Amino acid sequence: MTVLQTDGLTKRFGGLTAVDEVDMSIDKGEGVSLIGPNGAGKSTFINLVTRRLEPSEGDIQFNEQSILGLDPHEVVQRGMSKSFQTASIFPDLSVEENAIIAALAAEHGSFRFNFLRHRNAYPEVTRVADEVLESVGLYEQRNATAKNLDYGNKRRLEIGIALAAEPDMLLMDEPTAGMSPEETESTVELIKEVKEELDLTFLLVEHDMEIVFDISDRIVVLNRGQVIAQGTPAEVQDDPAVQDAYLGGAEE
Amino acid sequence: MSLLSQILTILLNGLQQGAIYVLLAVGLSIILGTLKFVNFAHGALYLLGAYLGLFITTEVQLTNGMLPEWGITTFGLGLGFLAALLIVPLVTFVVGIVMERFVAKPFYDRPDTDQILVTFGLAVIFQEALRALIGGDSQSLPQPAWASGPIALPIIGNFPRWRLGVIVITALLVLFVYALVEYTDFGLIVRAGTMDSEMVRLLGIRLDRPYLVVFGIGAALAGIAGVVGGPLANVNPNIGTEQLVPAFLTVVIGGVGKIEGAVLAGLLLGTLQVLLIQTGFAAWNRVGIYVLAAVILLVRPQGLLGSEVDVE
Repeated sequence: MTVLQTDGLTKRFGGLTAVDEVDMSIDKGEGVSLIGPNGAGKSTFINLVTRRLEPSEGDIQFNEQSILGLDPHEVVQRGMSKSFQTASIFPDLSVEENAIIAALAAEHGSFRFNFLRHRNAYPEVTRVADEVLESVGLYEQRNATAKNLDYGNKRRLEIGIALAAEPDMLLMDEPTAGMSPEETESTVELIKEVKEELDLTFLLVEHDMEIVFDISDRIVVLNRGQVIAQGTPAEVQDDPAVQDAYLGGAEE
Repeated sequence: MSLLSQILTILLNGLQQGAIYVLLAVGLSIILGTLKFVNFAHGALYLLGAYLGLFITTEVQLTNGMLPEWGITTFGLGLGFLAALLIVPLVTFVVGIVMERFVAKPFYDRPDTDQILVTFGLAVIFQEALRALIGGDSQSLPQPAWASGPIALPIIGNFPRWRLGVIVITALLVLFVYALVEYTDFGLIVRAGTMDSEMVRLLGIRLDRPYLVVFGIGAALAGIAGVVGGPLANVNPNIGTEQLVPAFLTVVIGGVGKIEGAVLAGLLLGTLQVLLIQTGFAAWNRVGIYVLAAVILLVRPQGLLGSEVDVE
């Protein structure tokens, strides 16, 4: 089953074409990375897919339905969850509450929650939250206030929040930015584990090639808004067009 | 009267004086903390609560204003105080919801100064319209018969029953709101929205409805404050504006968005005021609360229980 598919997706800003007729598809259970030099259009592509930008042309299908015209939060409710570039957790809530609020969003949709009910009266939400904390290794610290976690654990919690929404696809925008080498390594391990365990479908945007080659099933290379190569890590690594985009772009 | 009973009397009176501030400040604080909306019309909701209370409880003979000129000289339903205590919060809750939709919402993304101008303007319009219609005379809202007269307390001796009633009603309402915010889904979403509303939206939760409810609850608390505070002082069109400033002081001293902070600060201010009044410094009681506020804010700019001030 195809989780995400774009057809001729194009975004123009004035005279600049940031994303140029991109056709891309991600199957269920597949881990795909989007790479490319700075200004290749990666962020614009992500913003189009999450509906934070309106495309100039083309279609985006999620779970085989077009999501054009939806609001960003409706896309989330359809099952596309995003782990953010900047540290985004709720600092004054406990670790468990952070997970619960994401699980609530998935469980209840926009505003169907019954606000007079004690939240533990809804076992499903707490169960999902605890399972997610278990799988990102934060269950022991579930009662800690989120702001007191160290940096690496904050990023783990962030991924946990994204997972608690029980997404059909997880978008990760540079999940290891700003991490120490050890933290990066443990986050990469975490992503691998979670992918294995939950058969997670993800789309990763990342600069660090080592990580990309390590955890992707397939890599899509973007340059000047266009897909110039895609394939397994090995295929992409040997592709002359890719080497050209990264190394030889300035020659002409 | 022994020293102990004197101290206890001051504390209990302070508790009662502070209770009104607490009722006003809790609503103001959660609206400011959650919606980042500066509501200078909060005092007008207190005013509305007091006059609605008057209107529902008794029948008042009007002598000044436009209504008597138009031939309407009696004002009120005369349903009694209990009816007022039940109806006023419902009415002010609805007024709060209407205010959120039509006054606050269009101004969420505007600067604080715009919010202050529009809400203060609205408060003045309401206050002056009221004065024009029924005159500026002070009316008295009678204490409920079931809670008037003194009650004998240990050590303290006789204490006005209604003042004790105000303390009990306030405590129950604050506990109710606290439980709502701390232990329910609604509260979790409101608290998360207070920290990062953008992220709550990105998670797929719409905040419109919780925000509406927050505003409604704040307005209902201000309305109740007007009803329970009414019998303790005169009811006239100025009382809303008079309560607004101490209510804001309470919010700022306690820490914006913190219910516990509003309670602590309200009780501090109330007790200080009563202490000054009962020890012969009555003329200084207003000065006293500003001095206390200034000192606390110099030492802790984020308020007693406030989180670190985030610079946006």
